[in-house]
Amino acid sequence: MGSQKRIAKELAELTESAPEGITVKLADESNLYIWDVYMEGPENSPYQNGTFHLTLTLPTEYPFKPPTVSFRTKIYHPNVTNDDKGSMCLGMLRADEWKPSSRIAAVLQFARQLLAEPMPDDAVEGRIAEQVKGDFARYEEVAREWTRKYASGRG
Amino acid sequence: MSLSGVSWNHYYPVNQLPTRQESVSGLFPQHPHSAAFFNHHGAAPHSRPLNRPTHGHRSFNMNTLSTDEMEKFQKLSNEFQANVQGPAVSTKLSSSMVAMEYANADPAFITKTAALSVTHPLVRTMKGDGNCGWRAVAFGYFENLLKLQNLVLAHDELNRIKSLNVLLDRTGQQEHLYEIFVDATEGVFHQIIEAIQNGIIDDTFLVEAFNEEYNASAIITHFRLLTSAWMKLNALRYQAFLSLPVDQYCATRIDTVKTEIDEVGLQALVDGVIEASGFAVEILYLDRSEGDVVTPHLLTPNRVTAATICLLYRPGHYDLLYAVEPTVNMEPVVNYQYAMTSNYSPWDQGALTFDVNSSLMSIPNLMMDPSFALAPSPMPSASPSPFRVSPPHEVYAPPIMHTSPPPPPISLASPPPPRMSAPPAPLSSLPRKSDGPQIRLNPLVMKPNLSHSLPVTSPFKKYSPYNQAHFQNQDFEPIHWEPSDHRK
Repeated sequence: MGSQKRIAKELAELTESAPEGITVKLADESNLYIWDVYMEGPENSPYQNGTFHLTLTLPTEYPFKPPTVSFRTKIYHPNVTNDDKGSMCLGMLRADEWKPSSRIAAVLQFARQLLAEPMPDDAVEGRIAEQVKGDFARYEEVAREWTRKYASGRG
Repeated sequence: MSLSGVSWNHYYPVNQLPTRQESVSGLFPQHPHSAAFFNHHGAAPHSRPLNRPTHGHRSFNMNTLSTDEMEKFQKLSNEFQANVQGPAVSTKLSSSMVAMEYANADPAFITKTAALSVTHPLVRTMKGDGNCGWRAVAFGYFENLLKLQNLVLAHDELNRIKSLNVLLDRTGQQEHLYEIFVDATEGVFHQIIEAIQNGIIDDTFLVEAFNEEYNASAIITHFRLLTSAWMKLNALRYQAFLSLPVDQYCATRIDTVKTEIDEVGLQALVDGVIEASGFAVEILYLDRSEGDVVTPHLLTPNRVTAATICLLYRPGHYDLLYAVEPTVNMEPVVNYQYAMTSNYSPWDQGALTFDVNSSLMSIPNLMMDPSFALAPSPMPSASPSPFRVSPPHEVYAPPIMHTSPPPPPISLASPPPPRMSAPPAPLSSLPRKSDGPQIRLNPLVMKPNLSHSLPVTSPFKKYSPYNQAHFQNQDFEPIHWEPSDHRK
């Protein structure tokens, strides 16, 4: 199956040289399609010093459909649903913008970049988005607090 | 390139909307179908010149809509699903079904579809899922390769397509990301090669391959990536026709999964991937423009060709069409033979000029041609005898070619002069490639193994005076090498 061949190569590449602040491993060694991702909060963001656990799920149609990314660690962010799914779906992660030539590494970098620079105009959490636009200091404060509370211990 | 001079009429029948157009900037950024939707319900621009931006609806004034209407349209737009019923690639169907679809339509459509079902009796429908144009061209390409039953050509094409990986590498694509796409394409090539070796002309396996979703997506993605790379490497050629920088155009229109091909992308696909095969690509436009017949447009240079990929374009959708081919496969071979033997002399000459031409032999690079080098033993001895089974088409297969020695050199010594005045067969009739059957039919001409000892496999493509690049061609034009032109 083509998807397995490609996923295996991408996993090997990512294991060997992961992008800055990101580590990946299979959630279950026998299943290539679900990855555990640990992402350090970018410097100079309210998520700094936090480590966020994400699940990256690859569809069997990969790479013709995009991976899905969900935050297991609770996070205060306008582009991540504030529920038990913690899903993030914008930009290259959307099916109509996804390119089969995109790499999982790029997906993870995109997600980390989004922590550094939220996109309040494309938000899923409207209230947080308004705060980012209207009262950035308050947003940062809450985000930092949540980071301390939920993302300070690994996992 | 002949992008200009075509009028691109966009009338969107309800179920023929392209699945994705440029989003209405700023207005509905999250809803890819907005533009298509408004393009349909608004006054679609008629006869839009190609070099205008492709995201239409400029003639539609949003300000005249109430908020309610906007919301209603937005809702409809969000819920819009392209008509994705049916197989990705259908079997060949009677094109009268196209006429039936328009039975109650504008008289222009009725007249044109009626005429169409006479000139092009068969049609193969493509699923309207955003890939129909890509799929039609890719399928048409492989289908013709199978139909020609030319083993050397199939090998040549496989090597050529694989060599296009260079384009991907040069545009920064990484092999471990694109190899599965190339693998899928290669898989189809191998199926075709195996079929040709076994004398199988039935295209069922090809239809199946294109209906297997993952596999087909991979092939289509491969063609998309090659097109994208080709456009980036030849940006000057296409930029004038685009409203976006080429890179951005490729990122949003070509590299994606289900973005329908537009006219510029189609031309680039043909230029970058298909053209070097020697196949022609023709579009027949079915629209409300003047005239009693569909408007044809040739995307490839006007040249003699072994095969034509014929697309039927209805705004927002592509299908494949098949012209009347009175002589291919359907007519018993004996008809040719009777005709030939009663008047074999001129035919004899014509046949020889196709293939046996001493001037060809003096071309220094000829012996370098892989198709020539392969020629003496292209058929593995394990290849089954063509007499093994006897579906009608197999009676064409030459009985002796596998075992006979090369022809005596005498046939090379005094070839008749090339008959440049002999016009090639009309594009839509006779098989256009002398890949065996035409020659072998006449025993008076036929020397055993003649055709396989000579570069008959691509007579029009490279070393034949029928090729414009050949110095004996009437309209000889040397090939201009361009630094930017890295097709091979």
